[in-house]
Amino acid sequence: MVDKKDLKRITDYLYEIPKEYREDMRVPARIYADEKLLEATLGDRSLEQLVNTATLPGIVGYALAMPDIHQGYGFTIGGVAATRYPSGVISPGGVGYDINCGVRLLISNLEVEEIKPHISTLISALYRNVPSGVGGKGGIKLSPSQMDQVLEKGAAWPVKQGYGTQEDLECIEERGAMAGAEARAVSSRAKERGKNQLGTLGSGNHFLEIEEVLEVYDEEVADVFGLFQGQLAVQIHSGSRGLGHQVCAEYVRSLQEAVKKYHIELPDRELVCAPLDSPEGRDYFAAMAGAANYAWANRQCLTYLTRRTFEEVLAGKVKNWELTTVYDVAHNIAKIEEYEVDGRRTKLCVHRKGATRAFGPGQPELPKSYRAVGQPVLVPGDMGTASYVLVGTEEAMKASFGSTCHGAGRVLSRKAAKKQIRGDKLKAELEAQGIQVRAGSMPGLAEEAPDAYKDIERVVDVVHRAGLACKVAKLRPLAVMKG
Amino acid sequence: MPSLRFEEVEHTADLALKVHGQSLEEIFANAAYGLFSLMADLENLSPSFNRQVHLGAPDRESLLVDWLNELLYLHEVEEEIYSRFEIENLSSTTLSATVWGAKMKASKLTVKAATFHDLEIRKTEDGYLATVVFDV
Repeated sequence: MVDKKDLKRITDYLYEIPKEYREDMRVPARIYADEKLLEATLGDRSLEQLVNTATLPGIVGYALAMPDIHQGYGFTIGGVAATRYPSGVISPGGVGYDINCGVRLLISNLEVEEIKPHISTLISALYRNVPSGVGGKGGIKLSPSQMDQVLEKGAAWPVKQGYGTQEDLECIEERGAMAGAEARAVSSRAKERGKNQLGTLGSGNHFLEIEEVLEVYDEEVADVFGLFQGQLAVQIHSGSRGLGHQVCAEYVRSLQEAVKKYHIELPDRELVCAPLDSPEGRDYFAAMAGAANYAWANRQCLTYLTRRTFEEVLAGKVKNWELTTVYDVAHNIAKIEEYEVDGRRTKLCVHRKGATRAFGPGQPELPKSYRAVGQPVLVPGDMGTASYVLVGTEEAMKASFGSTCHGAGRVLSRKAAKKQIRGDKLKAELEAQGIQVRAGSMPGLAEEAPDAYKDIERVVDVVHRAGLACKVAKLRPLAVMKG
Repeated sequence: MPSLRFEEVEHTADLALKVHGQSLEEIFANAAYGLFSLMADLENLSPSFNRQVHLGAPDRESLLVDWLNELLYLHEVEEEIYSRFEIENLSSTTLSATVWGAKMKASKLTVKAATFHDLEIRKTEDGYLATVVFDV
């Protein structure tokens, strides 16, 4: 177990576990955290998992952890690991089971005051119109050829069907479709699981929230992103559903053989991997990209259902309710990107598991309108508290492979949360605070209680002070819908 | 007094089960029972059909993960919950079983997959103990 004495303080917000801590570490591990968050982190096995990550063949720089770090399986959650492309490895555990679990932020030109009388109706209608919850069928039924198109074209597919606009695509990471996705790399079982789930929210910590822009910290950047104080916004948190889970489970399983074949020794079976230039590594990348594209298509469909619901409830009553996409980010993914390593531009495979890309100003991958300021970074908080919009930085490009945190990070196990918190009581508390709740499951609600999570304010504060992503605006929920 | 088949274990982001059994067949059956207990109320479930499952894997631990993930796949795609598991044939690399269930959705929790994390099957004084971590 990693102990406080094993950590070296680099700055107030950055700690290091030197390579010498364990023999099999190929690089040091670094954790972005303040003292209090670090204390909490020492309480579970996340740092040990971070150290395990540092053993991956081809890993470059540091095995990194963000302040929302918490124990996962194999890789810690809130982790970033970059491996050399193409000789280094790719690891499904470094992406996660919910491939491209991510967030989309939508805004309207409305002030929240104008919509207050309609919020209850809106959230009830959303709960009715957006399929959610356990199982969660009721989505768009895809034929096999449509499924293949979704896997390869991502969000462009629903847009082509009339479920969105070109402007939406501009404002999605990768324009909603990662290059390198191949439908043939996704198994028929994964396709079977996903074929009725497109346009469904899911359950667990997935949500759809009606929010208010509570505070703006950076007027200039907020202006570029289209944000203003008092503005009505909607945030959607969802992923690749059963399809992504199946892809991950299958490749974690099949790569058990690959590690033997390529003589890779690992401290944890969930870290299984294969060299990026091996057939196994290439297949996983192609399947992962496909699942990522499915998730972007999913969030596009959820956006469509949200817009249709807004129209249904507000048309004729309120003007200017139209929702536009600010941005859409992935926080469980692996990307091929270029960074400076030992003075040279080097292609790396950047795994982000519970971490978000935070590209700084000037990056060509960003939409033209945002390029001068940097990428919007969406950081949802826990239910009932704040979410943040941050902006990516040059520092992130230098220090963290263009990455930052993804959310609040759990502290209580689901079991403990259910023991300590009662879903119906929590619902009542949230409603007393003026937050409407529509949830499919009371125990599920309890598992997602704010007390089960780290303090989002602290997490965001650390990445801001460390310079990885800077605060642009704070949003608060007015109504939340969960499966 | 019925013997303990499984227990839920503390795990921050996911869910872990400690599975008890007097034989390996019991371990596999109880792990499946534990998994589906997390998803629905099995006590009141009246099975209306059964299904055959046949699997092969390179080792016993992979076989356990495969078994559980196979059931999760069938559950999601066929909308079925299983409450009874009879392991007919079990070696360290193959499994044949019959499962009984009903056509229904999960009422409690969605489990994404059984993982290899902390996966263990070991012999104890009075039988076997296994741990499996699930991604939820």
